[in-house]
Amino acid sequence: MTAAPGMRDLAHRLLTYEAVAAKTSEPAESATLRVYEKLRQSLSAFAGVAAFESLAFRALTQAKSEASGLWAVQVAADGSLRGLGESEPQIDIDKDLPGGFPAGEGGIILIARLLGLLHIFLGEALTASLLRVTWPVEVFDDRNSAHGRNA
Amino acid sequence: MSTQEKVKINKLPTGVPGLDEIVGGGLPEFSFNIIAGAPGSGKTTLAHQFVFANATPERPALYFTVLGESAIKMLRYQQQYTFFDPAKLPDSIRFINLSQVVLEKDLGAVLEEITKEVEKANPAVVVVDSFRTMVRKPQSEMDLQTFIQRLALFLASWQATTFLIGEYAEEELRDNPIFTVADGLFWLRQTAERNSIVRKLQIIKLRGQDSVPGLHTFRITNAGIQAFSRTFGLTARKRNPPGNRRLSFGIPELDKMLDGGVREGDSVLIAGSSGTGKSVLATQFIAEGIHHGEPGIVAVFEERPEAYADRAASLGLDLETPQKEGKLTILYLRPLDLSVDETMQSILDAVQKIGARRLVIDSLAGFEMALSPGFRADFRESLYRMIFALTGIGVTILSTVEVDESFTEFPFSTYSISFLCDDILRLRYVSIDGQLRKIMVVIKMRGGNHAKDIREYEITSKGVVILGKRLTNYQSLISGIPIHSDRSDSTDEPLLDAGIEHKT
Repeated sequence: MTAAPGMRDLAHRLLTYEAVAAKTSEPAESATLRVYEKLRQSLSAFAGVAAFESLAFRALTQAKSEASGLWAVQVAADGSLRGLGESEPQIDIDKDLPGGFPAGEGGIILIARLLGLLHIFLGEALTASLLRVTWPVEVFDDRNSAHGRNA
Repeated sequence: MSTQEKVKINKLPTGVPGLDEIVGGGLPEFSFNIIAGAPGSGKTTLAHQFVFANATPERPALYFTVLGESAIKMLRYQQQYTFFDPAKLPDSIRFINLSQVVLEKDLGAVLEEITKEVEKANPAVVVVDSFRTMVRKPQSEMDLQTFIQRLALFLASWQATTFLIGEYAEEELRDNPIFTVADGLFWLRQTAERNSIVRKLQIIKLRGQDSVPGLHTFRITNAGIQAFSRTFGLTARKRNPPGNRRLSFGIPELDKMLDGGVREGDSVLIAGSSGTGKSVLATQFIAEGIHHGEPGIVAVFEERPEAYADRAASLGLDLETPQKEGKLTILYLRPLDLSVDETMQSILDAVQKIGARRLVIDSLAGFEMALSPGFRADFRESLYRMIFALTGIGVTILSTVEVDESFTEFPFSTYSISFLCDDILRLRYVSIDGQLRKIMVVIKMRGGNHAKDIREYEITSKGVVILGKRLTNYQSLISGIPIHSDRSDSTDEPLLDAGIEHKT
């Protein structure tokens, strides 16, 4: 079973947003790590480090079955991600085209899985509320989605 | 200092239907409260209802979770309640987890963390769930007390209304220094009685408020907690002094026996064995009220409303039309496991909804059977409270009760509730001339001048019809096995209490 298309799309939007932000303001860093770290900070404050670590571990296990490139990645006790930075390439926003995901497929899958778990446990409304604390509202505008761009 | 100069304590809505009445109109603003109880007793749900009712983006609620249930899991379940509005998160309601601080540091660090978040958010409501899990070593109970004292002082200064949620067993209630700090102490209990779960809420303490004492039933449904005040929300209602108006049964001879009818605001009991026509009389009473523009409620427990209306129709009484017109409600209260207060609340809601002036409870035996076994012990007391509350606002209540037919005694009720009733009408079978016939007698009429006659009646297609003459040529009629005597001075006029004139 693969990550739900809606979650992949949302993950892609978050990664794209962070990739753009990294190029314009902050030091280069894996977009996946940036998204993941923001989720970790936000969800650990909200639900506790242990709860986040459990979710992240589950998401990573699911993601590994889809993306073999994640085999070396691990979730630390504080919920942080280890082993991704070396293998995870930067998101190439120039390749941000509909119909396929750019480089960083494993990262997208991991984030999509994490968002998918939140969606399962908290539902759409609460998940969206939590994400809106961290990312600007336009990231969640459907017109910015792959589906929206296709239309 | 005059009364005008005293500080006014604002009362905040609890968000729990029925609880505002119990706490005396709302929860005192800036109060420091503890919600205590066993696991699964509804502590978190109660706190959530308060939070959702009061949090705003300008004055949000901070909900601190500690160890135990994670916020993700908690919210997964809590959002199933209808009061849960996801749009309130995170602007109005913010969840903050303190487990790492608790695990790695001490209570001082926890207080520091809470202080930091409170200063940042300026919340109107603060919840710590569960504060007991912060104590990881048994010997640090004293630390917890100091922590709570400092937390209470800090949060009161920051004008926050606070709830600490803690799991406590019943025996921990006594001499617990932590509870002395609290302005309000809410104790939630749930006990299994036979096959039923009985949930009760007690306001053990609430400073500055005139809360309703005692144990109040509550239920947890998909709407959250609903509390049922022991006073049924009628304490604030102005009591109507008993009037002199008489309410007719629509049976002229019976009205005569009752000195013109039942006094408005009375509680009437019709007692008799099966088939004596108790329900028929009750139906005639309610139909006559509707005929005179008095809305009515019939609470039935032993048959469905349709069957009740059909039976009335067979007596020529139309109960369908007034139901459609909102002048009559037939409540079917049969589900088992109801608490007596819940059942009575349903009746009260119906009474208040249509402005009912007459209420029929048919029957008390059915009412009792509809209750959860654990509540049957409270039946008589609760019935007393409801009758007192409803008659106090001028509603006239007619209850039917089945009594075992006995030929050695003449009981009025199996519930020893005759003292609750202003008027008692007793129906019974008698064996006369080889026939099983029916008689009725007014046993009691508080403040009234009722007939002492024993009258024979029949149930016809027009309902109860009292036969022409009082029975004078029999002795020991109420035994059910009368002895024929030679007297034959029957009269159509009812004989009233000696020395009291019949008022017309």
